[in-house]
Amino acid sequence: MKKASVAQFVIATCAVLMVSLFSTGFLSTVAAQTFKRRAPTSSDWAAIAKLPDFTGVWEVQMGGGPVTRIINPAVGVPPARPTPLSLTEAYEAKRQALVAHAEEDNQSANCLPPGMPGIMAQPYPMEFLLTPGLVTIVIEAYSMVRHIYTDGRPLPSDPDPTFFGTSIGHWEGDVLVVKSIGFSTQTEIEPHVPHSDKMEILEKFRLLDPNTMNIETTVTDPEALTAPWVANRILKRHRNWAIAEYICEQNNRNYVDKNGKAGINLTAPTGAAPEPK
Amino acid sequence: MKRVKNFALVAAMQAGLLAVVASVAAAHHGFAVFDTSSQHTITGTVKEFQWTNPHTWVWLEVPNDKGGADTWGFEGMSPNFLGRRGWTRKTLQAGDKITITYFALKDGSKGGAFLSCKRPNGDELKMFGASPTEDN
Repeated sequence: MKKASVAQFVIATCAVLMVSLFSTGFLSTVAAQTFKRRAPTSSDWAAIAKLPDFTGVWEVQMGGGPVTRIINPAVGVPPARPTPLSLTEAYEAKRQALVAHAEEDNQSANCLPPGMPGIMAQPYPMEFLLTPGLVTIVIEAYSMVRHIYTDGRPLPSDPDPTFFGTSIGHWEGDVLVVKSIGFSTQTEIEPHVPHSDKMEILEKFRLLDPNTMNIETTVTDPEALTAPWVANRILKRHRNWAIAEYICEQNNRNYVDKNGKAGINLTAPTGAAPEPK
Repeated sequence: MKRVKNFALVAAMQAGLLAVVASVAAAHHGFAVFDTSSQHTITGTVKEFQWTNPHTWVWLEVPNDKGGADTWGFEGMSPNFLGRRGWTRKTLQAGDKITITYFALKDGSKGGAFLSCKRPNGDELKMFGASPTEDN
């Protein structure tokens, strides 16, 4: 071919490639930010008053009863599970490899928060905010937030993998039913229990009595689990609590190093502000 | 005494306290470095009480056998947890003389996991226990 037409060919090919990139990759990531929420009307706000009262700060009940206690297998105590966690052969092999090479402590020692479902089982409270088309869960542990869209939008067909997934919800009577997809494989179902990018989580939030909430969590994963894994948690409302700040890096003296060794920083403070790392 | 009444008074047996500690430690980072099989006590003077996340820290000056003093560091529960159980950032202050009950560090370093402490007048401050229930 002559030089000029080679150049034209290359430019044309690039143009075609750019168009196809834009129409597939670019748009499907942008799509997560393109559902337009209409302005709420006064009847939208009035409708919220008819929903069950989820307002206020709720404390997960730890220990005893229908509660999940996630115990780090690295310290030799097997996890207590409400239903058996049955992994596929491939994922059981992955789990055993993770346990065999277990770090002395998990990455939360380095202030990395857990993903779903673990972030909902922390010994710190959470607050539910109900606004038109949205339920927002303010999670005190690690100062995290979950957004559950109740505005009728569909789940994205190609969600970005994230720690908490993308969540949509709807009300079935007095029960908030939430479906979440798009989980990063950087997170685990439980310590040392990996999941695939096809994990899905279904949650049902309901009041058992005026100040007691039950959250039923069902985890499914066609690649990692042979059966759904179901956990139930009980939360109690505290009308006099407020969500407090939790900045993990404020004064974190724990760590797990790159060899998996756990450590602690006992250098006494001098009274000056901590130096940036 | 007013101050004693403000603190979570779960009169747990040793095993009961350990069960509570274990369940809190479970969803809790950082406990891998502590030997939770036995408790120890140590007496000293508070140098500083850090009211910070993810853990409060009690820094204690403890006389050593060389005629001087060492600084020991005790990791405590989050101020978010403690603040709901009667603690404030002024509960312990520099100069307070206390006896701390703690889990030691596996490597023997001068520090541990703060479980509770006693003042010379007998007041006991605990870090664990259920949150108070209130009339909603």
